[in-house]
Amino acid sequence: MANIPELKISGLHAKVEGKEILRGVNLTVRGGEVHAIMGPNGTGKSTLASSLMGHPKYDVTAGSATIDGEDLLVMGVDERARKGLFLAMQYPSEVSGVSNANFMRMALNAKLGEGNEVPVLKFHRELQGKMKALSMEPSFAERYLNEGFSGGEKKRNEILQMAVLRPRIAILDEIDSGLDIDALRIVADGVNSLRGSEFGLLIITHYQRLLQYIIPDRVHVMMQGRIVRSGGRELALELEERGYDWLKDELGIADETVSANA
Amino acid sequence: MNILKEASVPSLDAETYFSALQEPAFVLEFRRRALAHYTEQPLAKFEKSDLSRRNVHAFRAVPKTNGDSSSWRSVAESHMNAQDRHPLIVIADGSVVHVSGVDQLSAQGVIFCSLREAVNKHPNLVQKHLGTVVPSDENNLIALQSALWRDGVFLYAPKNVQLVQPVQLLVVTTHGGYGTFARNLIVADTGSQVSFLDSYVAPSTLEDELQVGVTEVIVGDGAKVKIGTVQDFPRKATNVLVRRAKVLRSGQMNWVVGEVGDGYTVAEFGSLLEGEGSVSTSHAIALGAGRAHMDLTSRMVHIGRFSESDTMARGVMQGKANAVYRGLTHILKGASGANGQQSEKLLMLSGDSRADAIPMLLIDENDVKCGHAASVGQINEDQLFYLMSRGISEASAKRLIVWGFVDPVLAELPLDIVRKAMENVLERKMA
Repeated sequence: MANIPELKISGLHAKVEGKEILRGVNLTVRGGEVHAIMGPNGTGKSTLASSLMGHPKYDVTAGSATIDGEDLLVMGVDERARKGLFLAMQYPSEVSGVSNANFMRMALNAKLGEGNEVPVLKFHRELQGKMKALSMEPSFAERYLNEGFSGGEKKRNEILQMAVLRPRIAILDEIDSGLDIDALRIVADGVNSLRGSEFGLLIITHYQRLLQYIIPDRVHVMMQGRIVRSGGRELALELEERGYDWLKDELGIADETVSANA
Repeated sequence: MNILKEASVPSLDAETYFSALQEPAFVLEFRRRALAHYTEQPLAKFEKSDLSRRNVHAFRAVPKTNGDSSSWRSVAESHMNAQDRHPLIVIADGSVVHVSGVDQLSAQGVIFCSLREAVNKHPNLVQKHLGTVVPSDENNLIALQSALWRDGVFLYAPKNVQLVQPVQLLVVTTHGGYGTFARNLIVADTGSQVSFLDSYVAPSTLEDELQVGVTEVIVGDGAKVKIGTVQDFPRKATNVLVRRAKVLRSGQMNWVVGEVGDGYTVAEFGSLLEGEGSVSTSHAIALGAGRAHMDLTSRMVHIGRFSESDTMARGVMQGKANAVYRGLTHILKGASGANGQQSEKLLMLSGDSRADAIPMLLIDENDVKCGHAASVGQINEDQLFYLMSRGISEASAKRLIVWGFVDPVLAELPLDIVRKAMENVLERKMA
């Protein structure tokens, strides 16, 4: 196992406000791999992401999730992050009065631990370099965290944070929504530059479009709160071409959303 | 009640105090008239604060005589900086104990001295303005303070003089039971510009103390005044504070208020916008911990045409603290073209704290603009999750959110040392 990260999800069930959304998710993501989870709206994709990160609204009722063999589910949200899990969110929060740069430095130092803090100047130099790579104006460093950012700027800022924090396993939750083709390319380049054997990636998306830029090794389809089909990259292309109905027919699923048999 | 009150301020006692002051007749007259109001009036009543449950007799007619200087210095330390060269006056237990940096002002004709000194040295200026913004008979506690006021400062900027650096007053009370009655009078003549900072501090061990503070400001035609005021008296103090400005034609008054004490506080601040085109802003932070009670009112009264006000408040309540924040915008008939805006946001960090925001728009004129936004709530769960999802601990994440929440007001404080002091208070109270 050594330095190859591993996120292992087994039989995961989760509830939101008393309603079961995840109904037995099994998935393993290792360093060097890119997995994509696709599926129509309301099938539990984002719930999976938030549950893994530990959002208090989501209540895991059964199953397990580990990172590098350690039980993720007993950890606090911050601890999961410090163990190397990262979630690029679909709707990042705005926090007024907190500068982007200070926030990221704080997060990085929390990960590095006391006594290993990054020197301030070095941090800012590297931050500016990473921002440039994502075509972000230098002024973004001093702006309040996500406040007044456009949808695309928020998404870029998520990728910037990922580049700064260098997680072992990252989940991108609909990072492509609201991005035009140029922004999509920039974001994809940013993600691809992090790829390597010490970085595992789980991409959640509606569309195959993003997967033209970030090539997945495995593609999974989620319906009714679990993964119903897995395949290679060609599965994404097939879904793009034919939609989801053929798969529903094949699986005998009438309503793919989780609300169906709730 | 009346019997109690009279017993605590026997008129003879007050006369002894008055005669020891050796003030000009007009001041003596002012004090005596106010004392009569105090004796005649019932205890001041406030909608959300019941002072009858507090020790409003924690004062004496005669102030404490000064002890050794170390007792006030230890309290004042974090609020003053020996390196700073801006003008500073420190008043401890009612008397001036430190004056520095004021000589540089005389070249410009600016007066910055204790109010008691000013009544003798500049009687005409003081007589013209004293009690014109905050009437002595407003309630019995204002009357009491108008009778017994100890000291405070007089700040005067002559016509068209623009003072770049702020001037500072620090009021320290080392022992409770004598009464803290600081009174300030600030007069900015036509076209002048001044910044004033005043802080009120006491050790956490302070016994029962009645604090009644009055700051009157006259902003002349086209003058600009900025005042940053911080009150940090501990839990046994009962504080009644009025800070009010009268703003004349095209004048501008900016208030920055920090109410951070853990005591029982009823405070009002704001401006009477008398002149055409007069403007006032206020930025306030209320930070309550322990069992603090804060009854705060920002009051903007639009009298002049095209007058404008903008009020912003941020409150953070912890422990069992409770706060009522009233944003009062009153537009009188005749104030056509007036524009009054306000926004209040209160944050409760504990289940036992309470906060209320009450926006009040009283509008007696048709052709005006008015707006308000008020919110009261707890820390946003998604914000907290977001920060923590980057590895920041819950405690640090909460602190970040609170800092961010109050930052827009903190940033307005015009003197580093005061901003630092405020930051230290925040840091201490959020620990």
